[in-house]
Amino acid sequence: MTAEWHVDSELREQYERGALEPSRLMAVEAHMLACAGCRGEIQVDITWLTGNFSVVYDNIHAPRIGPVQRLLARVGLPEHRWLLLTATPALRWSWLAATIAVLGLAIAGSLLSWSGDPGAASTLFLVLAPILPVIAVSGAYGPAVDPMHEITGTTPSAGPALVLWRAVAVISIATVMAAVAGLLMPGPGWLAAAGWLLPALLLCTGTLALATILSLPVAASVLGGLWLTGLLAVQQAQEEVFVPTLFGPSAQISYLAAAAVAAAVLFRRRSRFDLGESR
Amino acid sequence: MTTVTVSGLSKHYGARTALDSVDMTIDVGVTGLLGPNGAGKSTLLRCLATALAPDDGSIRVSGLDPAVPAQRTEVRRRIGYLPQNPGLYPNFTAYDLLDYVAVLKEITETRRRRAEVRRVLGEVELTDRAKTKVRKLSGGMRQRLGLAQALLGDPALVILDEPTVGLDPEQRMLFRALVSRLGERRTVLLSTHQTEDVGALCERVVVMSGGRVIFEGSPRELAGVAEGQVWLSEEPPKGSTAYWRNADGLYRTIGRQPAGAEATRPSIEDGYLLLLGAAAAAEVAR
Amino acid sequence: MRRRRQRPVPPVNEQSSDAELLRAVAAEQTAALRILHHRHAGWLRARLRRRCADPDVIDAAIQDTFVAVWDDAHRYEERAADAAAWLWTIAVRRLVSALRGPAHRWLSDPAADLSDDVATTPSAEELVLLGVEHGALGPALDRLSPELRSLIEATALDGLTVREAAKLFGIPEGTAKSRLTRARTRLRELLT
Repeated sequence: MTAEWHVDSELREQYERGALEPSRLMAVEAHMLACAGCRGEIQVDITWLTGNFSVVYDNIHAPRIGPVQRLLARVGLPEHRWLLLTATPALRWSWLAATIAVLGLAIAGSLLSWSGDPGAASTLFLVLAPILPVIAVSGAYGPAVDPMHEITGTTPSAGPALVLWRAVAVISIATVMAAVAGLLMPGPGWLAAAGWLLPALLLCTGTLALATILSLPVAASVLGGLWLTGLLAVQQAQEEVFVPTLFGPSAQISYLAAAAVAAAVLFRRRSRFDLGESR
Repeated sequence: MTTVTVSGLSKHYGARTALDSVDMTIDVGVTGLLGPNGAGKSTLLRCLATALAPDDGSIRVSGLDPAVPAQRTEVRRRIGYLPQNPGLYPNFTAYDLLDYVAVLKEITETRRRRAEVRRVLGEVELTDRAKTKVRKLSGGMRQRLGLAQALLGDPALVILDEPTVGLDPEQRMLFRALVSRLGERRTVLLSTHQTEDVGALCERVVVMSGGRVIFEGSPRELAGVAEGQVWLSEEPPKGSTAYWRNADGLYRTIGRQPAGAEATRPSIEDGYLLLLGAAAAAEVAR
Repeated sequence: MRRRRQRPVPPVNEQSSDAELLRAVAAEQTAALRILHHRHAGWLRARLRRRCADPDVIDAAIQDTFVAVWDDAHRYEERAADAAAWLWTIAVRRLVSALRGPAHRWLSDPAADLSDDVATTPSAEELVLLGVEHGALGPALDRLSPELRSLIEATALDGLTVREAAKLFGIPEGTAKSRLTRARTRLRELLT
């Protein structure tokens, strides 16, 4: 059949130059489709070949960009930022932990309110909600949560900027989640929806400020623990005025003041977030 | 051209002294940092890599001082570091891991980052493993991936902490070939406790013991330390414990000449062992 | 959905057959894709050049083709097609979708305009059998009008469906169908 006939060099040259009349062009193409030998005779520049393949290589290996990322890119969060904010396994875990905690809280709240105690539900929420961002931030940075920290910490991106970027990202997401949960809470709306925000701000800045001395997870658990034990002590002492005492206007002002102090400490000591400074 | 200068560098962990006033200079080429465990090699490398702040003394990398925060970032732009335990995320693919480190190294433009990741994968011969997860890579491949991340951004100074530990002979050979290629135009500093590594790929060797530098020179000079102090005999030497039987069935002694023994050419290891012995003796005497 | 790897695939090299390479590609072996690319990209490019004058569009179509091969290599086994033909079908479709739109740059053949009318329905295999030196079909094809000939080429040779070809040339599918019938009748006349 076709074994007798192959595309000779002259014909191939005419074909590649585009100088063949239609019928011969079609015949050459049909033959080449069936004949690996003649296909292989077509000369191709190795530089072009490797260049062309490198694009294929990148395409099949590079992480594919999901819809969330595309949306974020549109609102000004470029791909590389996204990578920095989500890459470490601990960051992913702390996202997950915060999400689960919020869900748990919401469920507990609604169970309590259904059982006829909406006041207890909103109190529980007020006590626990400020801790959520702290849980989230504890996985943001540092040797304790990042097995690759020694590498991360010696790159030009290392240092306070990266810590704060990650911290702000996790804190804001956790805060938004808690806020949504707060709106679903029964009881006096404004208190559940907003009363926990300043305590949360205090705990987060406090955690970060403390993290200039301790590691982030330790700092987070110290402050979280202090918050819970402090609240417990107050509750034991004056149960009936528990919420007004701890979440009333004067308390809120002192939270704000304390948070400002913590922020100032954080700012002054921010260089301690660099691994180059031993701890 | 001097890339790295260290002077009077000290580091203490509580009462323990990890680095005791270390001075050294390192130039382009491969320099081996040789010493037993606990000699302070890792501490020195971590200080140079800006992973650890020294208590005292100074470091200059291409004239820059990592103790100054602004210059530290500049230093970090010039170094690639492979720690002893790199902790590469097991669930990342080789490509994704490098992509992430490349972002940390400020290669933010996507096209340039991809080209760079492709380049280092090729350099460590992992091009066809890019899709493999770190946990599925063999020990040697993982180590090469660790080397690849250090090479991202084409740093002038490459710091490798015990890069050949745990590699089988074949992987070790491949790794040595890669590293010696790097030393052609970069400054490579690697720590090891294997004298074969030093002999195979280092132009210069620095021997450390007890947090101090006890030798600086070429591998040949290190071997030369034991010149005239290495002996072969047919009978086990009397009164000496520092000897072993080699493959020819002869007894090799370092130190004073045993009765009936003949002098032989010293190896790098002989020089190294002699130095360590002398350092230990000096330590006892102090 | 990417479904992958049931049994281990043996390592591949330059001598492996296309089918072996595609099996290895399905098992995510980058090396296999590279060999396949280096083996086929050259002739694909030469052939796509006869369809499109823009080298960048062609390069992109080839890249898209091999990315698609990476994603779909596991489907290859299910069809009985020859690998080269399979690759070509992907490549020409990629080119068509790249060229879709108002300013398409698909090359109609450069040969002279002869009488409008009629052509043949040669399948690719028929053309192979005939070869260039077989007299009758060649002149008959050459005497077809360019628009009929492009349709024949797109369907019989490039493996596009009539619908795809119609889209490519910017004509209604019905028109394409009737033209193809006309081309067939005309070729039959010219050949007898």
